[in-house]
Amino acid sequence: MTNEKVLLDPTSESTPSERSLSERPETMDGLTVGLLDISKGRGDIFLNRLEEKLSDSGIKILRFKKPTFTKPAPIDLRHEIASKCDAVIEALAD
Amino acid sequence: MFERSWTDGLPVVPPTTERVRKMLEGTTRPADEIVVSVPPNLIECTVEKIAINAVMAGCRPEFLPVVIAALETICTEEFNMHGVLATTMSVGPIFVVNGPITLDIGMNSGINVLGHGNRANSTIGRAVQLVVHNVGGGGPGGVDRSTLGHMGKQGFCFSENEFSSPWPSLAESRGYDSAQNVITAFTGEGPRLVMDQKSRKPDSLIRTLAEHLISTVSSRVVVGMDAMLVLSPEHAARFHEAGWTKERFLEEITEMMMIDTDNIIEGSNGIEEGLPTSMKGIRLPKFRPDGLLLVQAGGTAGLFSAIIGGWLNGPPGSEPTSKEILL
Amino acid sequence: MHDIDDIERRGIPAVMIASTPFEDAAQKQADALGLDVARIFVPHPVQDRTDEEMHEMADLVFEKVLDTLIR
Repeated sequence: MTNEKVLLDPTSESTPSERSLSERPETMDGLTVGLLDISKGRGDIFLNRLEEKLSDSGIKILRFKKPTFTKPAPIDLRHEIASKCDAVIEALAD
Repeated sequence: MFERSWTDGLPVVPPTTERVRKMLEGTTRPADEIVVSVPPNLIECTVEKIAINAVMAGCRPEFLPVVIAALETICTEEFNMHGVLATTMSVGPIFVVNGPITLDIGMNSGINVLGHGNRANSTIGRAVQLVVHNVGGGGPGGVDRSTLGHMGKQGFCFSENEFSSPWPSLAESRGYDSAQNVITAFTGEGPRLVMDQKSRKPDSLIRTLAEHLISTVSSRVVVGMDAMLVLSPEHAARFHEAGWTKERFLEEITEMMMIDTDNIIEGSNGIEEGLPTSMKGIRLPKFRPDGLLLVQAGGTAGLFSAIIGGWLNGPPGSEPTSKEILL
Repeated sequence: MHDIDDIERRGIPAVMIASTPFEDAAQKQADALGLDVARIFVPHPVQDRTDEEMHEMADLVFEKVLDTLIR
């Protein structure tokens, strides 16, 4: 009868370990920023404008595009971005 | 349990130790075996966790192998369950079961096949959705962004009436043999009726079906989304009796669903939605090759069939995915 | 979100931009990942905007985006 009172947990029972964001630089001067297009409609227009404005501020830009917005970027692409950029902006999910 | 957000909104069966133990008797696989990583959080999931959720959904132990296989189909790169959850389109996983197990566990492929009333049909799909919700962390308002959703997201699973049809089953068309127990997952919206009570000849009925299928999702969407056609026994008989094979049916209907892009480019007929103007002047098929999945099911009386519209197909979206059910 | 999480794990500051209806989803996903991912939201809808409107949208959030990437 005692067992009848005990419910088993249907969830993953996992709480992720809290991490903090990576350390931010003092300024973006002279750094390279990667713009990652998630391949959703209109995102490229938005990123073009961001690129213009970032370039005007003297920031070097590299553009990347993932094959589809419905899945995480392929591991090789993430590796490439991380090895070439000092910061990353991903857009545009709607 | 509802307050702990363990449920899908309906009451669930409390997963007591005893009930879960009995559920686990439905499979030969060990309770601690990790079978899948469940999206969206990609959490490793054991047979026991699946059994707990299967109890809650109301499954009988003999349904458990089907639930496990269903999860094996959707927790894959090609099915892309994360994308299926995250899309604002109103779609969810839909399961078709083929093979002798459908008789063994009493699945319904007849009257009200896409509706309620059969325990296996009603609870297998529900158990899968509970696992995605509870283990994977994907629920409505969270990662699930569906604008409208549909009632089938409560759990949508049925079997094909393959035993009284001369045509190969869905599983056979996908490369399995009829003795195998197979589950196929398809990402789709709610079913929609196609009425044709007058056509006595296959050449007429197939035109009705084509005409309706062309409007699947949007008549301006071509190639990029699949559909499932659930052909009822009376409609199917029109083709069987005239000696048509499944291959002939699919070939002819594909030809009838070739679309002149001029009619569906942006701005045509005063509608801004449409293909880009650069695609003017060509003919495209409504569905890609194999993009129309044919399933035979339903009650023996009624000259109706049903269309289940899909979502993005191919690598950016979700591929129909089949797995053999291991007992 | 998984992309940003992965890039952050590699020690690179990253920010994602999405439209406002995704605020809840982003919060839930951030909770699940255990990382309070930097994120900026723009007004919805996006798909029916003209190029000019998209540019205005970018101008609107430009400074905020930069702020998430520096100390």
